[in-house]
Amino acid sequence: MEKKNKATDRTRSPVDGRAKDRVDSVDPYGFERSKDFDYESYEELMSEYLVVLTRRSIKWSKLLKGKRKVQKNVKLKRYVRKGIPNEHRALIWMAASGAQDQLEKNPGYYQSLLRAEHDPKLVETICTDLNRTFPDNVQFRKTSNPCLQKALYNVLLATGYHNPVVGYCQGMNFIAGYLLIITKDEEKSFWLMEALLARILPDYYSPVMLGLKTDQEVLGELVKVKIPGVWQTMMDHNVMWTLVVSRWFICLYIDVLPVETVLRIWDCLFYEGSKILFRVALTLIQHNQALIQQAQSLPDVCQSFKQITHGPFVDECHTFMQKIFAEPGSLSMATLTKLRATFRARIITEELGPTDPES
Amino acid sequence: MSRKKAAKGKPATSSPSAGSPTGKGSGKAARGSPGIVQMNGVVHPSRPSISNSSEFYDIAFKVMLVGDSGVGKTCLLVRFKDGAFLAGSFISTVGIDFRNKVLNIDGVKVKLQIWDTAGQERFRSVTHAYYRDAHALLLLYDVTNKTSFDNIQAWLTEIHEYAQQDVVLMLLGNKADATHERVVKREDGERLAKEFGVPFMETSARSGLNVELAFTAVAKELKHRSMKDPCEKFKLQEYVNKEMKSTGCCRT
Repeated sequence: MEKKNKATDRTRSPVDGRAKDRVDSVDPYGFERSKDFDYESYEELMSEYLVVLTRRSIKWSKLLKGKRKVQKNVKLKRYVRKGIPNEHRALIWMAASGAQDQLEKNPGYYQSLLRAEHDPKLVETICTDLNRTFPDNVQFRKTSNPCLQKALYNVLLATGYHNPVVGYCQGMNFIAGYLLIITKDEEKSFWLMEALLARILPDYYSPVMLGLKTDQEVLGELVKVKIPGVWQTMMDHNVMWTLVVSRWFICLYIDVLPVETVLRIWDCLFYEGSKILFRVALTLIQHNQALIQQAQSLPDVCQSFKQITHGPFVDECHTFMQKIFAEPGSLSMATLTKLRATFRARIITEELGPTDPES
Repeated sequence: MSRKKAAKGKPATSSPSAGSPTGKGSGKAARGSPGIVQMNGVVHPSRPSISNSSEFYDIAFKVMLVGDSGVGKTCLLVRFKDGAFLAGSFISTVGIDFRNKVLNIDGVKVKLQIWDTAGQERFRSVTHAYYRDAHALLLLYDVTNKTSFDNIQAWLTEIHEYAQQDVVLMLLGNKADATHERVVKREDGERLAKEFGVPFMETSARSGLNVELAFTAVAKELKHRSMKDPCEKFKLQEYVNKEMKSTGCCRT
């Protein structure tokens, strides 16, 4: 952008140089920045966010005081919402989700899963996606050492074997990939996967995907109540919610929102559960309702739902996280539970027939 | 009122309403069908419409890419759309996505709205709902993966069940450049296609072999049908056979 000549550049303070020369082309998690990455804005953003991170980091150090155990309480919840420093993420995610308890109760279990004889079909399905999981991340390259691709294979295989009904579902590759990037530990990643599949997002990835379908419809209902204009647009163009939000829910916002924002969301996901996914979706939709309502056709609607996951609103993760707890208004667990029951029953009737006793 | 104003100020990334150039397809009319064009093809070749990306088109159709996971649906689409193949840069498709491309077919601008779908079985309930609005389906298998070929029959059954009766269908054996890994012979593909009366060709998203042709052939067929031009006879398979390049030469 800057077309100043060198001479003027030299007279300016070092801060005025090109951000691209100062910011690494690979992000802290190993992802290569895209060609059109806006280094200037990023640097500006980070200069502010680093202050927050530092402040939070000090607070967390005081809170943990080197402890390896944490108790869930109001204070910790508040801390989590304000962001877990990356160095403590694995610890807090493990503790808050119950994954740590499971790991301790089942020593050697993960390794035993890997040693078991595996269904060749499961192996094949997983292998199909190995090269297609984060090819833009240097840690997943075959040449990198350690190469996370092998670890990814192991975690997915163990998860599929441990959970034969689910097996492998596309999307799990990205989630396990993120877990490995953060925990740098296969066994911990496995138990966090287990926490997601068994407790946090039940039935999301099973073949019928009942949990996922339910939550998509629940989101639709929440939009109907909270953001009726958008709901009307969806109706006008006959857009099924699954078309625009399935990736949000399945990938837990990976590759939908910026990495840093996703991690902040996951902090709350592991601590508070899946409600956070609705808060994020509602905030995105509510904040951009005018744009969505401009859509003139189904493809327009799809496009607008893609568009709203980019830009400063989602890049500024700290502000974004404050907004998700304020903008969509109250969202009680009771409401959510009730809506889930209603839509779950409806989907079962529609898809599986009224006589099917399933779940 | 606000809608009009808004539409003008929309960013270039937004796609246009492909419904119908005269605006007939918008509003209530669109309710019945989530598709971009009424199934019977509301065609107004005399009134070109303009999209936000300033690409004119006369008629628009919806094409869907289907087939097992990993057969190369996204790669094929990216090759067609952008002319690129970046080995190892693709991620598995979760859910459903689309891209537009306008083709010039004998002087008519045909816009293809191409829907890319996740191949894994459990995502099918999502894709089924969109089958019925598709004007054309490109069914892919991977010539280096026997299972993906064996599953074609199941795919055809599914298509028969959910898609429109008159949907334009083409079978594509992708990754034809991978000579060494090939396990499905070209003749096997031909035989299967013949058995089901479906046009067939082998493609390669990597080399670009027949990629353009596959989409062009579909666009020609759709255009021909919608124009209902009696003097012009168009036979998809004949056209394909004439234009097709065989696989022997390639891996450029």
